[in-house]
Amino acid sequence: MTKKTNKIIEPKILRGTRDFLPEEMARRNLVQQKITSVFERFGYDCIDTPAIEYAETLLGKYGDEGSKQLYRFKDNGGRDIVLRFDQTVPFARVVAANYSQLPMPFKRYQISKVWRADKPAKGRYREFTQCDIDIIGTKNLLAETEIAKAMLAVFEKLGFKEFIIKINSRRLINSILDSLMVKQEDQPAVMCALDKFNKIGRAGVIEEMKLICDEKTIENILDATLLTGTNSEKVEKLEKYDIQEVKNFLRLCSQAGISETFLEFDPSLVRGLDYYTGIIYEVYVNGVDIGAVCAGGRYDDLCGLFTQEEFSGVGVAFGFDRIVVAMETLGLLNDVRLNSEVLVIYFDEETLPKSLEVWNQLQSTGIDTEIYFEPAKLQKQFAYANKKKIRFVVLCGPDEVKENAITIKNMDTGKQKTIPQSQLDSYFKGYTNL
Amino acid sequence: MTSAKNIRIAIQKQGRLQDPSLNFIRSLGFEFKKEQLGELIIQCTNAPVEILFVRNIDIPEYIKAGVADFGIVGENIIYERGERYNIIKRLGFGKCKLIIASPRESSLRTIENLQDERIATSYTKSLQDFLRQNNINASIIEINGSVEITPKLGLSDAICDIVQTGNTLKTYELEPIATIFESEAVFIESPYYNKKKNIILERIQYGNSKTC
Repeated sequence: MTKKTNKIIEPKILRGTRDFLPEEMARRNLVQQKITSVFERFGYDCIDTPAIEYAETLLGKYGDEGSKQLYRFKDNGGRDIVLRFDQTVPFARVVAANYSQLPMPFKRYQISKVWRADKPAKGRYREFTQCDIDIIGTKNLLAETEIAKAMLAVFEKLGFKEFIIKINSRRLINSILDSLMVKQEDQPAVMCALDKFNKIGRAGVIEEMKLICDEKTIENILDATLLTGTNSEKVEKLEKYDIQEVKNFLRLCSQAGISETFLEFDPSLVRGLDYYTGIIYEVYVNGVDIGAVCAGGRYDDLCGLFTQEEFSGVGVAFGFDRIVVAMETLGLLNDVRLNSEVLVIYFDEETLPKSLEVWNQLQSTGIDTEIYFEPAKLQKQFAYANKKKIRFVVLCGPDEVKENAITIKNMDTGKQKTIPQSQLDSYFKGYTNL
Repeated sequence: MTSAKNIRIAIQKQGRLQDPSLNFIRSLGFEFKKEQLGELIIQCTNAPVEILFVRNIDIPEYIKAGVADFGIVGENIIYERGERYNIIKRLGFGKCKLIIASPRESSLRTIENLQDERIATSYTKSLQDFLRQNNINASIIEINGSVEITPKLGLSDAICDIVQTGNTLKTYELEPIATIFESEAVFIESPYYNKKKNIILERIQYGNSKTC
């Protein structure tokens, strides 16, 4: 690298944004590949939408707080532009513009970056990745069941052993609050308080609810929603409310092979957003205290603002960054390597043709292989391999060339081994965890 | 000749398990014509039972697919497929072991020594599982027969193979390093065969009766 004399710009990035260097990116890519492979196994197809949208498309869709957090600017042509804030509103726009061509019900997944001018904090960024699946165009509970099954499959695929998918029904909560005579207009605030149960505890919830209803009502609400026991025991206790949807859903889940070990009916589960109308979900991972790693539910009229057509749907968002953090915490990403498995040493000019032949041989076999670019000291080439976490170094010096052999060095164990060049591909092909 | 109502038992077509398997079926009181042996499927003369002759390694597939109701097969075959079957009876014959061995003069004497070495085998899955459990990575060279000769030929550093008496190991100057599992012939049932009461299970459970 040659030094230049012109003025240097400080190589900095905006607050709340991140660079991902190869090691971190390798882990993120692996997580994303695993998640996508499950989505695709369930038949979800991928869509993408622009990072920039007309301001009018997104303005007013995320409440007062959300609107303040939109990245909004005039482009060079004077157009009023916003950055993608979530994937749901653009999805609604896509459906409204294309529904006649789309298969219905329509299942899609989308993984892309979104931007929010939020206050950056630990685990909260201004640019981050969202990862959603949605099914629209059916009200059948089979859609909810499939989403639950896909959630289960994703977390199993990622290697989580202990996690729980909590479910509840908005219809049920409304029916409980209605029969306890909580006024319609007070219900959102009551749900909001209940939603904080895990954070502020029973006493905290009571304190918040006192501002809305009397003590007797509060006690009744908590009695109805904070239940213990198996799913069917909880269902039994709530028979007098609108529980049919939960019953049907749990039955379908059981028939679809979702074990109760991973599925908990929690009548106190609320979900913050008020557009949910039916079954809602949240996933928690044991042993990592970062809140829900996946959440969502049934909503009606997704595209109401963009078309007269009504589309009911159900969908969940996987918290990509949180999932990566949880996996790192649990050591599930310890063995992720970078892309090269083998480095072919550039020994000297004389043996270079042989090294290139070996490089070509491994490349054709499909082994991720690179060759060092300079005939540098072995020490330096080994150090390069170590820095890139390359597991094997392959060397053909003058002795090897004479014998038609290859020396393989395992950089993890230090073990060195010389085999005939003709066996090189089968050696790596048969290697147990390559 | 064959009927859907018949109970079908799959056994080995050729090899060391065939005779003891037929003896076991006979011991349950089922009779068949000797001159029919050699056909792929024969009907017992005194019971609604058929014997299906197939390749040893295919028996689990027949059982899993539900086209045979029972089978007699070596556990080694089941382990290598990595599947679980309901074993009704262990039959005490066809005893063998899956072992790892290396040339007598070789420096490979422990499981740890196998790190990064070439191991020839037809039991790739069993070997891979074993190495993983022992935290060893090595190169598995898949060979379908005469595995014992590969170290001499310079194709492998060690082998993983089935042994019965150990004579082959001696002949090729191989020394065992580890036993992966021991195996014998077992009587297994299809997961799809759910008639709780049937003539086969009754006879295995309550002893044999020659009269039917």
